[in-house]
Amino acid sequence: MTEGLWILFWIVVFPGFVFTLVVGLVASWVVRKVSALVQWRVGPPFMQPFYDVMKLLGKEVLIPQDGQTKVFIFAPLVGMSGVLLLSTMLCQISIARTTFVGDIIVAIYLMVLPSLALILGGSASASPHAQIGSAREMKLVMGYELALVLAFIVVIIKNGGQLSLAAIAQSTPVLSISGMLAFLVSILCIQAKLGFVPFDIAEAETELGSGVLMEYSGALLAVWKIMQAMMLVALPLFLVMVFLGGFDTAFWRPLLAGIGKYVLILVLLILIKNTNPRVRIDHAMKFFWVYCGITLVVAVILATIGRELSISWL
Amino acid sequence: MGWKMWSLKKSPWVFHVNTGACNNCDIEIVNCLTPRYDVERLGIKLVGSPRHADALLVTGVGTCQAAKRLQEVYRQIPKPCVVFCIGACALGTGIFHKGYHVAGPVDEIIKEVDPNAIIAYVPGCPPKPEAMISGIVKALATI
Amino acid sequence: MNYQELNNKLSEIKDKLTGIKQTAENRVWLSCESENSYAINKFLFEDVPLRFVIATGIDCDDCFEVLYHYAYDELGSVITLKAFIRDRENPAIESITPFLPGAEWIEREIHDILGIDFKNHPNMRRLILADDWPEGVYPLRKDFPHCKLKEVKK
Repeated sequence: MTEGLWILFWIVVFPGFVFTLVVGLVASWVVRKVSALVQWRVGPPFMQPFYDVMKLLGKEVLIPQDGQTKVFIFAPLVGMSGVLLLSTMLCQISIARTTFVGDIIVAIYLMVLPSLALILGGSASASPHAQIGSAREMKLVMGYELALVLAFIVVIIKNGGQLSLAAIAQSTPVLSISGMLAFLVSILCIQAKLGFVPFDIAEAETELGSGVLMEYSGALLAVWKIMQAMMLVALPLFLVMVFLGGFDTAFWRPLLAGIGKYVLILVLLILIKNTNPRVRIDHAMKFFWVYCGITLVVAVILATIGRELSISWL
Repeated sequence: MGWKMWSLKKSPWVFHVNTGACNNCDIEIVNCLTPRYDVERLGIKLVGSPRHADALLVTGVGTCQAAKRLQEVYRQIPKPCVVFCIGACALGTGIFHKGYHVAGPVDEIIKEVDPNAIIAYVPGCPPKPEAMISGIVKALATI
Repeated sequence: MNYQELNNKLSEIKDKLTGIKQTAENRVWLSCESENSYAINKFLFEDVPLRFVIATGIDCDDCFEVLYHYAYDELGSVITLKAFIRDRENPAIESITPFLPGAEWIEREIHDILGIDFKNHPNMRRLILADDWPEGVYPLRKDFPHCKLKEVKK
């Protein structure tokens, strides 16, 4: 009984839904505030993302008549639950250090769920804008998923075929050439997955009139925004655990170091977001397949050589 | 007033519709949304779809061609919402008073669909961005 | 070509014109009747050659006029051809779109607003009036009662 209650608490409050939501909304405020400061303006007040979600929950929900109603309603819920599960799993690995072999594969699968949900939701709205947005998101996912998985394979090779996140989180692959290459590529892939400029092709505001999420309103749009906020927690945390040496929650110096690593990745994402224009979908695919692909092939070769000859800085 | 209106006042997302304007007011609206006037401190964001919007910024006199489309856009905005008529033409047809192409000022067109619509007026030709911000803040404060 | 050569060139079609006037150094006005406008336009566009800028429709009280404005960029001058349409009941003129595709939309607009029929126009559709505007009502004619706007639309 208490075991069940404990699991419920773990999933709903900490580090599950409520904790991830609050941290995610604070992180999205940080993104907006830093973007404002970079543009020499003041930016939104601290509670602004909370007000946004609250306001969206209070609006009426309009469902298009010709759309697929069930898919329309369930797509955001599926996306949100995927991100929620990922974030809970990662926090559990950081805090309680209990894990299972192959959990990095589960994490990669769970990271695909929000993009899939976007594609499904966009296709289920009976709108040509949403359809173009979802087709472009499909192409974008095909582009960066390969690069992301290859980047993680570099890390797995460097750790000697270790598939358990708790063990991977002990080492810092970024302090080597192949690790650094893989880290840089994975930052760009995370940028695309979060839907930040230069890869916010699916939700291109000025081009497509809001693209994929065009027909969503009210509480369903609130779920999408919550999902995007939670992705801001889960994905950089995943990068911290894979590349930067994990998030040790022992009080207080390691915790501060962990938070510092998370903030570092967030700041990198914000700076790339504010200094780049949006790219076209064919440019994006060429970028991920050709440039990132070649970089990662070089990184895999270097990692294998380094592993075989026990050179740690390769 | 309820938490719905309170949170709407804290975070009004705007959608811009041009029903036959000369584009002066549209240029000023776009100016208003640039980093110089920083409307993000008030929570205002320009959205690309009427389904995400809380406030409709309407410019231009209500032409016959645009009247039905404006009513359709208004119906697609999830209620509660506010309509801002920007510029002299949207307020009361401006200099196009007896034009052959005018279906009426924007508030008459909106009131045909929804007699209880909340409509605010920002006069000017075109209104300065400061005037628009002041108008939005005052309107949201009195709702 | 300088102005002298331009004037000589324009005199080649003198027999179809009813008047040539030069009000300023870079402004030439040619007038003709609507029957000859197609040939003169073809000459101006292809043989001189001039660049077509825009066309204008005017409702004078006893006739219609269609003005075709051409630019001669080497001298920076504008040459306008005024074609008079004397028939007020069924105003008609030959369309110049077959050899000048850039005139297609302006002729559609003049037709919408003034009711001048352009013969042989490939795509005569409504351009700028509202979709539910009644047929046969031309807003910018002098006898259009602009105060009776609401009755027209009902």
